Amino acid sequence: MLIEFTLWFAIFRGVHQLSIGGYAREYYLSYVLWAAFVARITSSWMYEFKMIEEVDSGSINGLLVRPMTFYEYYLSQLLGYKLITSVLSLIFPITVAYLWHLPTDFSRLPLALLLVTYFLILVHTISYCVTGVAFFINKVHSLTVAKNLGLWLLSGELFPLDLLPPFWRHILLNLPFSSAVYVPVGFVTGRVGISDVLQGFYSVTLGIVFFALLGNLLWTKGMRDYTGTGA
Amino acid sequence: MIAIRTTALTRVYETYEKSDGIWNSIRGFWDRKNIQKIALQPTTLEIQRGQIVGLVGANGAGKTTLLKLLSGLIHPSGGDAEVLGYRPWERKNEFLRRMSVLLGQKNQLWWDLAPADSFDLLARIYDLDRRLAKQRVQELATLMDCTQVLKVQLRRLSLGERMKMEIIGALLHEPDVLFLDEPTIGLDVVAQNAIRQFLTEYVKNKRPTVILTSHYMDDIAKLADRLLLISRGGLVYDGTVDGFIGKTESTQQIRFRYDSPLTDDLRVTSDEVLKKGAQEFQFRIQTKQLSEVVKTITGFGTVHDLKIEEADFEEVIRQFLETESRVQPSRNTH
Repeated sequence: MLIEFTLWFAIFRGVHQLSIGGYAREYYLSYVLWAAFVARITSSWMYEFKMIEEVDSGSINGLLVRPMTFYEYYLSQLLGYKLITSVLSLIFPITVAYLWHLPTDFSRLPLALLLVTYFLILVHTISYCVTGVAFFINKVHSLTVAKNLGLWLLSGELFPLDLLPPFWRHILLNLPFSSAVYVPVGFVTGRVGISDVLQGFYSVTLGIVFFALLGNLLWTKGMRDYTGTGA
Repeated sequence: MIAIRTTALTRVYETYEKSDGIWNSIRGFWDRKNIQKIALQPTTLEIQRGQIVGLVGANGAGKTTLLKLLSGLIHPSGGDAEVLGYRPWERKNEFLRRMSVLLGQKNQLWWDLAPADSFDLLARIYDLDRRLAKQRVQELATLMDCTQVLKVQLRRLSLGERMKMEIIGALLHEPDVLFLDEPTIGLDVVAQNAIRQFLTEYVKNKRPTVILTSHYMDDIAKLADRLLLISRGGLVYDGTVDGFIGKTESTQQIRFRYDSPLTDDLRVTSDEVLKKGAQEFQFRIQTKQLSEVVKTITGFGTVHDLKIEEADFEEVIRQFLETESRVQPSRNTH
């Protein structure tokens, strides 16, 4: 985050302008601050690795014989973990934004966090799909790395998506991945309005449905082939 | 009333041969030699409610495959099965709430949690009354003399203590059907006896339907009222433990000592030769050969300390497994 702060300071010093894309330096600093916080919430590589390991090692057997689904078991773990870590780490961006007078509309924070939490369900559903692939291919952890890299680019964690040309901006805003960082952070820092947030909820819902269907397909086939000793 | 019914239940595992080297690994994507291994041949059986069935077979005979099929962990390649009226691999919650699987070689409780916390979580998963569940944990832990470890992290417990905790976890919801896969594996004799004794008491009181696999024949002999012998994926015996011993060709262990070492090699039976220079002997013979053998060995010299012992269940099964545990045939397809 400090590197990104320094980068934006340098950019503004280099271009000799008070604003870029219609926003002053403080807006970018605020974006970087909140993006760093939100992106930590909406990534779940650790749980995805654990889920893959369950299939790889066969320890999934212990879960399959219980009256619950693998999906809901790990979703509840993920949400529980994120709730605790997010509440604790929220202190940091709030303090920095307050002390540095960075543009932040705190009244918008609850709705933004709701979208982030909703996006977490999509993240988990994608993890469920990746885990489903583990029934057929060993060491699918590489997919997690590739997926996280894709999310990093598409979510707006790297830079605000409104800096992109309108065509790409339009496409990315209509994909659910922008709801991971750009939409909620943009909403809190004044870059996007309520309509984008509602669009975010809509596209995330579509994403959840799509990946749930894909995951269901992979798991149905995977369970048919599963030998109970690990994939 | 029938608890478990299978009709020509079959499972074939499909895998492929992977040649060494990176080129062969890449080639394997489009040109691979598939291998089919029949883990369970068409198996038809019925198990009554409350029956305790011992499932015995050599490694790779198909015992665990049958257990996994009946508990819904894997799908069959053919045939059908019903457990408590449910098709196991559909994994309906109503079914999963009424059965339990204990895999002796795998931890099913949470490694980083104290067992008491794991049981609390299980109580929620199974929708049990928490007060009742706590009471049940205390009862089971008292019976197994392990109340002192309930609040210690699972990872810090000994193997025996961990197994006791796993058993409590498996019995917490009082399942109607219980699958026990090697519940005493790796335990010392004391822990084995404690668990055996506990399970004997438990099944006597609660009368669940139990399928038990174990390499320790004492487990089977003491707990099971029905024996299923499985070999190369097929059932080869279905009956009582005593019936199996009766059916098997009976053998005797014979031990004796001469008053001085032998001066020559002496043949007793077609398989057994008493070696020159030795004085004490011990070997196994078929019961029908007994009188002939005793006559022969007493003819060779003065015999002392002659002891003849009948083979027990463990020995009979050991002999059976030795005969049966050969490499299973595989079918290769391109």
